[in-house]
Amino acid sequence: MGQQRLAGPVTVALVEDHQVVVDGVRSWFGPPSPVELVAQGPTIESVRGVAADVLLLDLNLNGTMVVDRVGELCAGGQRVIVFSEHEEPETVRAVLDAGASAFIGKGRATRETCLETILEVAADRPSVTPPMAQAIATDEGPHRPQLSDKERAALLYWFQSMSKASVAARMGIKERTVRQYIDRARVKYAAAGRPAPTKEKLLICAIQDGLVRPDEVTVYTSLAARTPSEQE
Amino acid sequence: MTEEIEQIARRYARYTALGAVVIAAVWHLGYDLTVTLTGWSSFRWPVVALAAWIVYSAVLVVGALALSRTGRGPGRIRELALAALAVDVAVIAAVRPEELLGISDWGWGSVGWLAVMLSWNRPRWKSEVTAFLAANAAIMLAAMAVSGSLDRVSIAKYLVVIAGGVTMQLGYMAGCHMLIARAEETVLLARRLAADDAWRESAQRIHADRLRRYEAIRDVADGLLKQLANGADPGDARVREDCTAGAMRLRRLITEREDVPDELVSVLRERIDAAERRQVLVTAPPFGERLPDLPDGVREDLLRAPVRALDGARTRARVTVSAMSTMVSVAVVADNEDLPISPAPVREPSGVVVSYQRQGGEVWVNSVWQGP
Repeated sequence: MGQQRLAGPVTVALVEDHQVVVDGVRSWFGPPSPVELVAQGPTIESVRGVAADVLLLDLNLNGTMVVDRVGELCAGGQRVIVFSEHEEPETVRAVLDAGASAFIGKGRATRETCLETILEVAADRPSVTPPMAQAIATDEGPHRPQLSDKERAALLYWFQSMSKASVAARMGIKERTVRQYIDRARVKYAAAGRPAPTKEKLLICAIQDGLVRPDEVTVYTSLAARTPSEQE
Repeated sequence: MTEEIEQIARRYARYTALGAVVIAAVWHLGYDLTVTLTGWSSFRWPVVALAAWIVYSAVLVVGALALSRTGRGPGRIRELALAALAVDVAVIAAVRPEELLGISDWGWGSVGWLAVMLSWNRPRWKSEVTAFLAANAAIMLAAMAVSGSLDRVSIAKYLVVIAGGVTMQLGYMAGCHMLIARAEETVLLARRLAADDAWRESAQRIHADRLRRYEAIRDVADGLLKQLANGADPGDARVREDCTAGAMRLRRLITEREDVPDELVSVLRERIDAAERRQVLVTAPPFGERLPDLPDGVREDLLRAPVRALDGARTRARVTVSAMSTMVSVAVVADNEDLPISPAPVREPSGVVVSYQRQGGEVWVNSVWQGP
């Protein structure tokens, strides 16, 4: 799948109501960028029907939070990256649970990190931005994924430090291993959440890449669906 | 106000417990002792009756001590309750069979007061005192059966004494319990009202503070816009930096909520403001709402090193807080070259662990508290 992307630029549609942000993002995607902005509008409706690999979505549109529309956008298989300053862990978890592929915090986004996230998501690879790392590591909900201590530590350090290299130094391991911990945590998180088409793609790719084995991916079932003996 | 009400509630609990002790003691001294001594010759075994009176007194003292110390009955009451029932049996054995329902048989009417004291304010007081009174009634009934006094007059006497005793003992307990429960409810209500007041007051303070900061930022923006209008070059690095710093402050102000912040968060916000006044570019993602309650000293230990790193930041800093129900992690990444760092993690007595790392001109200071 990743190889197919090399054929042409990754296409992006942007939903954002602030012109200054639109201009900024447009300048990031200008040539020679591997990403092309194919549509843009101030509402979800304004880009509906546009075929784009990734939809970049601002959460606060004209003063209204659109967290509850993320699920509907992802349901058709659209990859959605939320682009917002509302980096509270609860908000990040809500959009990830609804099926969003990634969350980019406006406060710290740079051209490089933004492009990296878009390319990873377009290739259905696990992408973990710092706000996502914080949200996944501190999840205490009933359906939270079972992260190992190292995976959780890697996520927290990734959120709170300056780079993955510094996480590696802190944990006394290779940077490659840090990436692996963080990516595995993301895959586990996707597997623990509600099934969404985009998450399934992520899981398939993660299995193909050897990041997780098929039997490690347990698809979430509602507690209500279990028999009483299982709940004990 | 709240303190006064709490004090009143504590007094209610204390004096009702004391009341139980006084009733049991007065009954035991005034009635049981008098009957034992004045009716000495009418007992079959008067010494047994006296021994029973002494055992009763011992149980009473143990119960009274527990009540005065903790305001509730002793921790383990089974042995004491059995001793009280043994008193009952001993007095029954000490009287002549024809005196079984007479005034000399003081045990079965008064041991109920011991049960009241022993089960006072314990979580299962209702079932405990009921079980004891039932056992007491059963013992007497068995004694009547053995001595062959199950005629109508004896049964009627029995019922009168049982009904009288149980009504007084259970009635006193239930009445006091209701009184204490009402007093406690009043305390809770008073506390809630006080908490509401405190919340309202701090929310107003925060609101006023935000307005003040908003004014300050508007001044900054005004100044910048005037500079630009007067021909300042937007390409000038200095002008661009000023604009970015203003935008950062504005962005945080937008994502901050009106809620009353945690004290840890308040301190960090204060230091971020101070850093921004020194023209340091600070990024700080929202700190989240639910920080756990921290034991004494933990907050100070969590903040000390990161705040020092922030205070010494030269041009930029990033402040982050992560929290779970039993973990809080505070971190600062800053271009602070003067901060002395420890290569090994520092363990504070409070349990907070502080780690330092330098990389590419930046220092990363991270303090973590893990709860039990």
